[in-house]
Amino acid sequence: MKPLAHVAFALLVAALQAAVLRWIGGGAWPLALLATCVVYVGLHGGNVDGSISAAGIGYVMDLMAGTPKGLMTFLAVGLFLAIRAISAAVDVRSRAAFALLSGAAALFLSLGATVLLRNVAAAEAAPGGGLVPRMLLEALLTAALAPALLVGLRRLDALFHREEPGLLR
Amino acid sequence: MLALLKRYRELILVAVLLLVPLAVFFAHAKRPTDRSRLDRAVVWLATPVEKAVGWSVRGTLDMWSGYVALRGARERAAELSKQVRALELEKQQLVSGRGEVERLRRLLGFAEAGPDRRYVGGRVIGIRLGTVGRQLLTIDRGSDDGVAPMMPVVVADGVVGRVHSVAARSADVLVLTDLNSSIAVRVERTRARANVRGLGKPDLCRLDYALRTEDMIEGDPLVTSGTDGVFPRGLPVGKVTQLERRAHGLFQDARVVPAVDVTRLEEVLVVVAWERPDDAMPAALAPAKVP
Repeated sequence: MKPLAHVAFALLVAALQAAVLRWIGGGAWPLALLATCVVYVGLHGGNVDGSISAAGIGYVMDLMAGTPKGLMTFLAVGLFLAIRAISAAVDVRSRAAFALLSGAAALFLSLGATVLLRNVAAAEAAPGGGLVPRMLLEALLTAALAPALLVGLRRLDALFHREEPGLLR
Repeated sequence: MLALLKRYRELILVAVLLLVPLAVFFAHAKRPTDRSRLDRAVVWLATPVEKAVGWSVRGTLDMWSGYVALRGARERAAELSKQVRALELEKQQLVSGRGEVERLRRLLGFAEAGPDRRYVGGRVIGIRLGTVGRQLLTIDRGSDDGVAPMMPVVVADGVVGRVHSVAARSADVLVLTDLNSSIAVRVERTRARANVRGLGKPDLCRLDYALRTEDMIEGDPLVTSGTDGVFPRGLPVGKVTQLERRAHGLFQDARVVPAVDVTRLEEVLVVVAWERPDDAMPAALAPAKVP
């Protein structure tokens, strides 16, 4: 149930992002808020439901971004694993750290997609290094908005939190 | 085997979730496929959200531009109205100036067409065309400018009248429509003679002394004959109208529509000198001067 809620939330965020970016700057500003969702799932989800959530979010990314099927799904699951590895080594609790990780995640997804697409796309259509400044901007903007999204994700998770009877707070 | 699967199920699941998409990607990357039913359903779910956001943003922007951004609009509108009024006034002045230039150009053309005449240009500064008294125009030229009584006053369209009285810097012009005005004319077409006399109305005169035997029709243009010693020859005076030829009597009756609308005059020319018919006559034909 929780992965489904995460995917639905991701779908909502993707739609909001697309609509808002259409009105603010007409698409001039790049943003990858779904990377933040994957980071949250990686930090707070379990292995099974987290990976399923990440795959679902990646699927939404594939749909909304129009990338070849499977590309963002694969990268999202890969990002999930990377976040799990990082959270095992570093305790990410503050909003600033979450924002930093979200920015890095956005960059990871962009660079990963670029590398993979370069392998399959025709030379003239393959993404190149000229996109790196835009990727950095995307990472920066995503990091800036990540704390706001964190609030929403926490509230979503709170819906699935059950208090065990008899436990004292 | 089952125990192994159970033990590593998480790892297997993650591996499947990682590798299957990668395989799908490589399988479809070079041959893009259409969206599946599931894809279309998911996109369909997202569409209302995008529409709702667009609607809210548009509504907010409309509200902003329609209400909030209109703060101070009344002051701006008042300021703009003031500017519009000032510009309207300026435009009127320019249009008026253009009309004046056009009139002066015509006057100049008229003056240059008769090099044997000398003119003094003047502006109409007063007008008295009432039913009581004489019908007079006051111009801003007087005896200081060489204007004298009985001098003809004309515009490019034709005769205005003659100078009636003169002050140092102004003069009264008796217009051709005055009851006391009489101008010797000829029918331009037939050279028939007559007199144009005013009726006291600014738009109509009377034709006097037009012999019944003369060929005259309505619409005939009348020009000054020069025989009255006041007006040079050939200046337009008006057109014959309401022609009535009775069965008896010496003359025919007619009215004359003046060539000049005296109610609309702004600038006029006073003919201060011109070549009289006698002067223009060849020396052999000129009357002998008695010592």
